[in-house]
Amino acid sequence: MPLFGKKGTAKAVPTRLFYACDIHGSEPTYRKFLNAAKFYEVDALVFGGDLMGKLLIPMVRDTGNTWRARLAGQNHHITSDEEMKQFKKVLQTLGFYWQEMDPEEYRQYEGDQERIDDLFDVLAKERLAGWVALAEERLAGTPVKIYLCGGNDDTDEVLSALDEVAEDRVVNCENKVVPIDDEHVLATVGYSTPTPWVTPRERTEEQIGAVIEKLMVDVPDPSRCVFNFHCPPLDSSLDTCLKLDASVWPPTPLIENGQAIYYGAGSQAVTDSLKKYQPTVGLHGHIHESRGAIRFGRTSAYNPGSEYGEGVLRGLIVGIRGGEVVGHQFTSG
Amino acid sequence: MAEAQAVTPQVFTRRASGLVRVMSPYSAFIYNILTMGVIFPWTYLWAPTAFQGSNLVLGIGFAFLFELPIALAYTWLATALPRSGGDYVFQSRVFGGGFGFTVVFAFFVVWILQWVALSGWLLAALGIAPTFLGLGVTTNIHAFTTIGTWAATSNGIIIISLANAIVAAILLVSGFRNYVRFQYVMWYAILLSFGIVVILFLTTNPAAFHTKINSFAGAIDGVKNFFGQAKAAAAAGGVNFHPPFFLFGTLMVAPIAWTSLQWATYSVEQGGEIKNAHVFRNQLFIIVGSLAATAGLLILLALAMNHGIGGDGIRVASSGYWYLNGKALIGGGYMFPNLIAMGLTASPIIVALIGIGFILNSFQIVCNCYIGCTRIMVAQGLDGLLPDWFARVHPKWKTPANAHLAYFLAAVPVIFAFNKIGDWSTKWALGVTFANGAVMTLSALAAALLPYRAKKLYEASPGAKYRFGATPMVTIFGTLGFLFGAFMVGAFLFVKDLGLAYTASAFPYVIVVGTAVFGLIVYFIMKQVRASKGIKVEYAFAEIPPE
Repeated sequence: MPLFGKKGTAKAVPTRLFYACDIHGSEPTYRKFLNAAKFYEVDALVFGGDLMGKLLIPMVRDTGNTWRARLAGQNHHITSDEEMKQFKKVLQTLGFYWQEMDPEEYRQYEGDQERIDDLFDVLAKERLAGWVALAEERLAGTPVKIYLCGGNDDTDEVLSALDEVAEDRVVNCENKVVPIDDEHVLATVGYSTPTPWVTPRERTEEQIGAVIEKLMVDVPDPSRCVFNFHCPPLDSSLDTCLKLDASVWPPTPLIENGQAIYYGAGSQAVTDSLKKYQPTVGLHGHIHESRGAIRFGRTSAYNPGSEYGEGVLRGLIVGIRGGEVVGHQFTSG
Repeated sequence: MAEAQAVTPQVFTRRASGLVRVMSPYSAFIYNILTMGVIFPWTYLWAPTAFQGSNLVLGIGFAFLFELPIALAYTWLATALPRSGGDYVFQSRVFGGGFGFTVVFAFFVVWILQWVALSGWLLAALGIAPTFLGLGVTTNIHAFTTIGTWAATSNGIIIISLANAIVAAILLVSGFRNYVRFQYVMWYAILLSFGIVVILFLTTNPAAFHTKINSFAGAIDGVKNFFGQAKAAAAAGGVNFHPPFFLFGTLMVAPIAWTSLQWATYSVEQGGEIKNAHVFRNQLFIIVGSLAATAGLLILLALAMNHGIGGDGIRVASSGYWYLNGKALIGGGYMFPNLIAMGLTASPIIVALIGIGFILNSFQIVCNCYIGCTRIMVAQGLDGLLPDWFARVHPKWKTPANAHLAYFLAAVPVIFAFNKIGDWSTKWALGVTFANGAVMTLSALAAALLPYRAKKLYEASPGAKYRFGATPMVTIFGTLGFLFGAFMVGAFLFVKDLGLAYTASAFPYVIVVGTAVFGLIVYFIMKQVRASKGIKVEYAFAEIPPE
């Protein structure tokens, strides 16, 4: 049933996309993303980057069959299997990883950031591989495809899990132009401009611009291209966040006259490309707190925001037909 | 395993970006206290003669106890859904979009326009007029008295209200941080002002008050033995100066005091801008802490007034407001607590300090009307239930400039009507007490049902671990809050001296129902408009099952 179709018109049925991003390792949020295809009756699932979680909780063996861990500023002493199950469930919702270890093993990690980063990569890649397998299983027998890519917070090592997919239902669209229906293509760029957090996949404006230009060579008709660019356009209201002091760790808000400062943290190269190519639609993420919509000429650009930590999947349903958006709806599932 | 016991594991982190919010819990705490308005005069002007024999201190205490479970229920909601748009988000998630939109749009967004007008009236009649009257008396400069008298006229109130709304809109459109910065000025000003008022009451006695207020009113209006004349007129009008204790009347003070204390939850409207809004103790501090602090301040003022001007003084002041006792007016205005306090001092500096605090708090009231309602409108715009135009954030100022403009324009006719239509305040404006209270009462019900209607969301929230036996704590507090809220909202509906029943006419009820119907019509129109583009607005609220 063409939800986007008008009665009495002979126009083609629009393609309905569901877009979400920045789920940062959250298991229930990813599962919701997969189920969104059926729930929202869409034709494709497009993910906009930032798959990896941000925290790793070491669970250190204590006396007997008990464990100690720290979460949200509190020490936890886990004394039963049921408690362990509940604790892991909370970590899954929050998008955190965990590793059970002996005290000696824990001490080897303490202060060794390189070793910790390696452990992050192992656990995150394992989770991503599991997610890809789950997507293939859930979407098997349906026409729905899921387009996955990384964001600035994801490491290349972890994203290599996407290169190993069978590409039946799951499509690795990272830095590629891929068909999304009979008349539209999807162009994806997962990089962001430099952040105070010095994340794994940041690039300069020039580098992002060059990646976009390289992709556009493969786009036959820019007006029928969906831009899936993780970084939002600069100063567009889709990129508003607090300005941070990068000289301290973790970065803290810069204070001017006793107040924090807001600014646009998007990309000028993305803005330029939206203005220049006037694609069908721009799909963006990166700045979780800057949910909204804006237009660049004929092109609408969106950022659905993110609340993965609460297990909430923020997203966007967008219908496209003939190089135009025929309707959109923000969701909060 | 002695070695193992020595280990207190820390969290491992990596280089990843993070979300930072702008409003500190302390700022949100201040925001709530300012919104509750320790300057609101109604408890002291309305209750003493509307419910003769009532006890103000006990009545405020009842209001605190009735609001407490509502505030606790909101604490659970605010940590489970720390987003801007608060009540709208809560009710949409639990009851569905049609219900949440209709209730919050009609009873908050539409009815709070009355508060924009009311805050202008507060600024003129409670802030500027008493300040200039007090300055006129203490400096013997007649021009001050003239300004003070003008400020209390309907034209004066309209001009001041419009200026108030324009300045607030410009401040807020220019950037939310500008408001947050200015909020500290308002906070310290009202603390100083309120402290001075309380000290003035505590350092006088009723006999000295009679002398000073006679002198003060005489200097402004040329009247002799002001207090004696005002008291005689009040008694002739039906005020009993030796009433027996009246328990039901004391209970009825609670809904009046609740018109202040109910706003302890207003910070939830910008939950998306508060740092660590999901942390339970932060929300307890912001919501319950601000409630307790404000209730304490209101009780302190009641005790201080009783000490300084006595029950007779309070009843005379109240008769001017409730019995329309013209003899109990000073400079054409009511005997507000701050005006009385100004009459107790001969210092123009003290008068100015009291005045600045009340003026700034009045200005803050209009600011929070804009802040809360524009956030709700943005949330509703993003959900497709208002045109997209309302949800647009200005790229340069980073504020919902369109929503601000719309709200200002909508407030202009209400400001004129409030001050130019004779019975507006009794037929129309009183509906706001019912409407705003109804939103909060229904949100308490949403809290009670949260564990059952939004199970996954509730289970992921920090409040989920608090249970009483098998029953979630939020269900207990939400149910109690709903019942207490329904009692007070019911009082606004049916008790003659409290609200809609005042005029003994069906008209106020028609207006209230009319706004709800208007909200419903807007919902169905927007639903149809979106459907014509193939959009189901219900998708904005539906929770996807993860399995």
